[in-house]
Amino acid sequence: MDELDPRLRGVADELRRPVEPDPAAVRRLRAAVRAAAEGPAWRRWLRWTLRPRPVSLSPAGVLAVLVATAAITALGTARLAPRGAEGGPPAVAAAHAPGTRPVRFVLVLPGAHSVHLVGDFNDWSPGATPLADGGEDGVWSVTLPLADGRYAYSFLVDGARWTPDPQAPPAPGDDFGRPSSVLFVEGST
Amino acid sequence: MRAAAGCTGVETPDAVLVQRARDGDAASFDAIVDRYYGDCLRYAARMLGNRADAEEAVQDAFLRAYRSMGRYDHRDRLRGWLFRILVNRCRSLAEQRLRRRRVLERFREAEPPAAETWPEEPGDGPPEAVRAALAALPPDQREAFLLKHVEELSYEEMAELTGTGVSALKMRVKRACDRLRVLLMEVEHGRA
Repeated sequence: MDELDPRLRGVADELRRPVEPDPAAVRRLRAAVRAAAEGPAWRRWLRWTLRPRPVSLSPAGVLAVLVATAAITALGTARLAPRGAEGGPPAVAAAHAPGTRPVRFVLVLPGAHSVHLVGDFNDWSPGATPLADGGEDGVWSVTLPLADGRYAYSFLVDGARWTPDPQAPPAPGDDFGRPSSVLFVEGST
Repeated sequence: MRAAAGCTGVETPDAVLVQRARDGDAASFDAIVDRYYGDCLRYAARMLGNRADAEEAVQDAFLRAYRSMGRYDHRDRLRGWLFRILVNRCRSLAEQRLRRRRVLERFREAEPPAAETWPEEPGDGPPEAVRAALAALPPDQREAFLLKHVEELSYEEMAELTGTGVSALKMRVKRACDRLRVLLMEVEHGRA
């Protein structure tokens, strides 16, 4: 059963020929492994801050640090007090899931009634990711947290019109001649 | 890339590279990449049919392998272990591409689309007839044929990395061969 006839042996020989690696792709892989080894940015920062290191300060330097600390504490207390009194929440910087980075997709298309994003990140589900209303200037956008990787995607205009991103390179693949776009996300870990 | 690793005539054993990589030696994981990237890229390119998807699958497989180094059992062969991860990544990516294709078909516009093209590989790719016939195989048969007759794994190794029984794999390979013969004849006949 394992023996191949000459025709299929020729096919197997053709398929066995090596595929030359693209040095840029290998570099990307090595960089991704290095990034994975180092962990996410917050962990690298934490490691850096916790690493013991010798510090030398002159008496004047010590005095300057103490004065600065006292001043910052006083200012912080003064500014936080009114907000606490109003009962409002503290301002929080926009957060995203660990290992991802926010990516904003934009399509300028005045006159469209709806724009959705379809791609590898939402299983090409047509209604899953609507873009925010373009308004009069026709700027449609949505921001997604994406992990490192390569993503093919496209816009779906008015529920029917397949529209690649004019700002991004086309994605190769079986697209029936209707190209999608491709996006590389790097450095989120 | 594989030749480069062995150019000194003394190749560091896989188990040693894995242990060093586990201990945080990035150069050892680079050596693993150098040793197996080419094999992995060939399998992924033949399975997925285009270089960009293949590179993505291989990168993802190596990253997953790196993150799972702690679970690597030294009794496993490293190439087989990497292929087990890669085969799964290729399956996932192929499913993703299939979903994209279905969505595209749903939203196909009234005018006829441009002819479907098999993505180009750099000059060293297999002939078009071979690529077209391989692409026309059902994915499970293509996977079985490639693992058996291109990557030259034993049925036992294939069973271990695909999670499919030996008898079923033999049947898939046989069907793949039968289908390939027919497809190649059709392609060649169509050209005559």
